[in-house]
Amino acid sequence: MLKVENLTKVYPSGTVALREVSFEVADGEFLAVIGLSGSGKSTLLRCINRVIEPTSGRITFNGTELTALSQSEMRKFRRQIGMVFQQFNLVKRSSVMTNVLAGRLGYLPSYMSLFNHFPPSDHQSALKTLRRLGLEDKAYVRADSLSGGQQQRVGIARALMQDPKLILADEPVASLDPVLSHSILKYLEGCNKEDGITVLCSLHFLDLVHRYATSAIGLKEGRLVFQGLPKEIDDAQFKAIFGQEAERVTIL
Amino acid sequence: MNIPTAVPFKTRESALVAAGLSLLVPGAGQLYLRKPQRAAAILGTVSGLAFLIWWALSDLKVGIVTWRQGTTSWLWLVLGLLWVWNAVDAFRCARGLRSWDTLGILLALVIVYYIGWRVTDANLDRLVSRFQDVKGVFNALVHPDLVTRDQLGNWHPSENFGDLIGKIVLKPAPSLLVRLGVFRKDALVPAPVPGKMMETIAIGLMATLFSALLALPLSFVAARNIMSRVRGGTAVYQVMRGFLNVIRSIDTLIWGILIVVWVGLGSFAGVLALTIHSIAALGKLYSEEIEHIDPGPVEALTATGARLVQTIRYAVVPQIVPPFLAFTLLRWDINMRMATVVGVVAGGGIGFFVVETIRKGGYEQYAAALWVVALVIVVVDYVSARWRERILVGETKVTGPAPRPLFRVARTLILAALLVALFAFSWVLSQIDPRKLFQPAPTFLRVLRDFVRIDLSSSVLQVVFRQMLTTVFQALIATTLGALAAIPFSFLAARNLLGSNLISALVYYLTRGILNFLRSIEALLYVAIFVFWVGIGPFAGMLSLAITSFALVGKLFSEAIENIDPGPLEAITAAGGTRVQLVMYAVLPQIIPPFISYVIYQWDINIRISTIVGFAGGGGVGLLLNNYFGMLQYHKAGTVVAFIVIVVTVMDFASAKIRERLV
Repeated sequence: MLKVENLTKVYPSGTVALREVSFEVADGEFLAVIGLSGSGKSTLLRCINRVIEPTSGRITFNGTELTALSQSEMRKFRRQIGMVFQQFNLVKRSSVMTNVLAGRLGYLPSYMSLFNHFPPSDHQSALKTLRRLGLEDKAYVRADSLSGGQQQRVGIARALMQDPKLILADEPVASLDPVLSHSILKYLEGCNKEDGITVLCSLHFLDLVHRYATSAIGLKEGRLVFQGLPKEIDDAQFKAIFGQEAERVTIL
Repeated sequence: MNIPTAVPFKTRESALVAAGLSLLVPGAGQLYLRKPQRAAAILGTVSGLAFLIWWALSDLKVGIVTWRQGTTSWLWLVLGLLWVWNAVDAFRCARGLRSWDTLGILLALVIVYYIGWRVTDANLDRLVSRFQDVKGVFNALVHPDLVTRDQLGNWHPSENFGDLIGKIVLKPAPSLLVRLGVFRKDALVPAPVPGKMMETIAIGLMATLFSALLALPLSFVAARNIMSRVRGGTAVYQVMRGFLNVIRSIDTLIWGILIVVWVGLGSFAGVLALTIHSIAALGKLYSEEIEHIDPGPVEALTATGARLVQTIRYAVVPQIVPPFLAFTLLRWDINMRMATVVGVVAGGGIGFFVVETIRKGGYEQYAAALWVVALVIVVVDYVSARWRERILVGETKVTGPAPRPLFRVARTLILAALLVALFAFSWVLSQIDPRKLFQPAPTFLRVLRDFVRIDLSSSVLQVVFRQMLTTVFQALIATTLGALAAIPFSFLAARNLLGSNLISALVYYLTRGILNFLRSIEALLYVAIFVFWVGIGPFAGMLSLAITSFALVGKLFSEAIENIDPGPLEAITAAGGTRVQLVMYAVLPQIIPPFISYVIYQWDINIRISTIVGFAGGGGVGLLLNNYFGMLQYHKAGTVVAFIVIVVTVMDFASAKIRERLV
């Protein structure tokens, strides 16, 4: 279970990105995080694995208080938390295989991995993961020769290589064609349903939230303004999250 | 004064006030009209030009005329016109009329170019009247001393060829082979003796290797995004960048004369001089590349729980290795060019050979050296460019998990062995001796102390100032002449504007070939020709710079023409436009901004080079520096170097800013 209590983040520039955000996510949930650009979604996800250091508040995951861990303890703990990014964040010049294997780095000692050497078992599980994501034939091509949808699947494969208990997905479909959104989210749904991985995913489109999420939270200007089931987001809730001028748009 | 906020002013009165103010103080009217940038530009130009006219008149008697028993400069009249123009400009600005910018710029340019022309002692008629003197050199260029004919009529490589490239001589057999019984004791065996060009290649290779290795760690310290993570790192970053900029602004050859005092004449001094300058140049390029990496992968790997070393290995290294290699190859190209001239001051390599042959009057040997340099540099330029292209745009090799076949392992081993051999060969050939670094000549410390205590007495300042201005004007006029000559040729060297018939292809390859050939020889090596032609002095240096500017600007121009967007060309052709209309309406609007940018870039380069053409008799600040070093007046040499650092840094900054705004 992931528990976030009174999480606040103030950037050195003075911008308050999160104000006293508290919520809970049960194991196996697919939690959608919704809100406008700049509402604090990315900051929230990055505070959970402490890639961004929170200013105050408490984050507990399966009984471990993440906010109390030292830097090196946190690094080790990050192995259990996969992350998927809007811009995929692949090393473009490296092969798909190297990018996927990079998900294992946290488990490997430095000296071995410095020469691009990974244990054969990692190679096999990387191939298996790529097969699962339909990218088996792309293992040995450069990452930037893939399409956007394929690159994001490589991003998911990298996260899966960590054997994560939690996946943080920051706008995983915002840089993709709407048609591809379902394909990517179906893979994330698969991780959630089949492997029982808890997923926190920020999304823009409400119909994607209705289709995939099991629960949802809404952020507005860094404050938690909604928490509940996706179907509970009615017009009033929608306006509260996205503002009075917002209109619903649907994709496909 | 109560200034209404609405600009432009509509009333006649305020326009007259603005004009009147400008008549009193140039730019004041424009300031009154709330155009501070324009005001500053006008005031700066007018006062700068006034100073220039006064200096040129009093120091060099430029533009002198007698008027009412006194003497003055007729350039004051032009400045007066500019002053009037500025008042008219204020008036026109106030009335919201279009300003006559071109006229003002033209008046300013008349003054600048007239003074520049006179200061660099440019006399084009000497090119004709003294042509007889240079005929011998041109004759030698056609008949370089590379081959000789024996009595039987067979051609052989000449002795000079052996000096340049290398020869086989009989030497006593190495003791190891004698002991092994391969040769008898006292047996003479043929052994290769590399020539001056090989030495030059070795100098360029070693300097590139050393500077790349040393610039690598420095570049991380000079990268803003890395240093901002460390406490107090930003200060270190600023200091480091400033340090690199100062080192970079001092030309390799100036480093050369300093280093010679330290380790003595020879190839090793050349390697050191090239290395120091290259470290600064590469350090800047590397650190800018580090600053521009994509932070995404770093974040992603941090999020997987990877260690810092692992994050650097998998997220940073793959991003920076290809551009680093490309920059190193570019630097190798530049270092090879500089290695051909560093010997002029440092000894060693082909630069030293050229100085010696000219001193002996060996035109044919000098000509042979020029041909060999051109050939080698053309090849280096081509290899470096193609290799860089492959690294930056080509596919990186992606290997599967399959074990490497044996022959590939063998190939890697052979390649490694060859590289080691090349390294050892270059090491020996460029006479690298690290011990010398720790045993500086006893005078070195005294020289260094004198050098740092720069002489700021007014007599020295006056001389240095004059030569520095000469250098700047030399660069300006050379750039102008080179660019003007390059414009017609650049169209001939642009693929896309020529037709596809045989003659067009011939014209294209011929023009490109000539430009590449001329570009491959450093300005300093051309100086000798022009010294014979027009005599020692800034004019000879200026002409040498003009030749290399013509070649480089011509190449850049033609590439700019080749890179234009074909869309407008298609549109004008579709509308039935003629070839001339095509150039006027589709080509020119696209190429003028890059052309201006390249000209400014070339001026910037030329200022650096014109600080050294004086070493070979090309006048300007280099001549002065050489003289001060020759007379052991190191504190005065220090003044010269300080001037160079300031002028080059300011020009570098200004040229980068102007080009940024243009493109």
